[in-house]
Amino acid sequence: MNNRTRWLLTKLRLGWAFLAAGLTVSLAGIFIGLEYDYLPYNFRVITGLGILLLGIGISYLVRYWAAQKDETAAQRAMVDERDERTQGIRARAGNRAYWVSAVMLYAGIMWAGMAANGSLPALAGDTLWYYLAAAVVIPFGVYIVSLVVAEHRS
Amino acid sequence: MKNRLEEFRLQNRWTQQELADRVAVSRQTIISLENGRYNPSILLAFRLARLFNTPIENLFLYTEEEDHE
Repeated sequence: MNNRTRWLLTKLRLGWAFLAAGLTVSLAGIFIGLEYDYLPYNFRVITGLGILLLGIGISYLVRYWAAQKDETAAQRAMVDERDERTQGIRARAGNRAYWVSAVMLYAGIMWAGMAANGSLPALAGDTLWYYLAAAVVIPFGVYIVSLVVAEHRS
Repeated sequence: MKNRLEEFRLQNRWTQQELADRVAVSRQTIISLENGRYNPSILLAFRLARLFNTPIENLFLYTEEEDHE
């Protein structure tokens, strides 16, 4: 088995793993939501995470399944992933997303600290939920936008 | 940094994809290199120079002014 085949099989296994995890998590979210609907928790968050994992799994399988039958496509897929320019763009985008995430979390900590001594209103309930959701979604958005902009510019 | 990549590639009658395949990078990287929008790593620069059988400084044209930009 050559390097390329091994790499392709790893990607396919990863795709199947994401697919299985996505199915499990989204079904668990739906089941728990139906079974424990009296709990004050929005189980759609779990289902949403499952759907995201499912999407990642499907995108892996679609991309690498086709490459399995075409040696040139497999070689190019491997090269694309290891391409130094692409890796540089990803690293810079990741760095930006990390700093946005760090600033958001630090601001959250500062707010919580000041809320504890009554200087600011407490972050609770929906506000806290939306803030934490934003702390996940915004850095991810920054990562994606940075990728697109860098791809366009360089 | 300026380079003569396109000139060397055309001399060999290779497409951008063919050159990309030979040095194991994406076609987009070759496009960015040729447009001068991306400076390669030292390893890629050497791979390209070896492929065209030319000294690295003949392929990539370094000027000190670029350092101050």
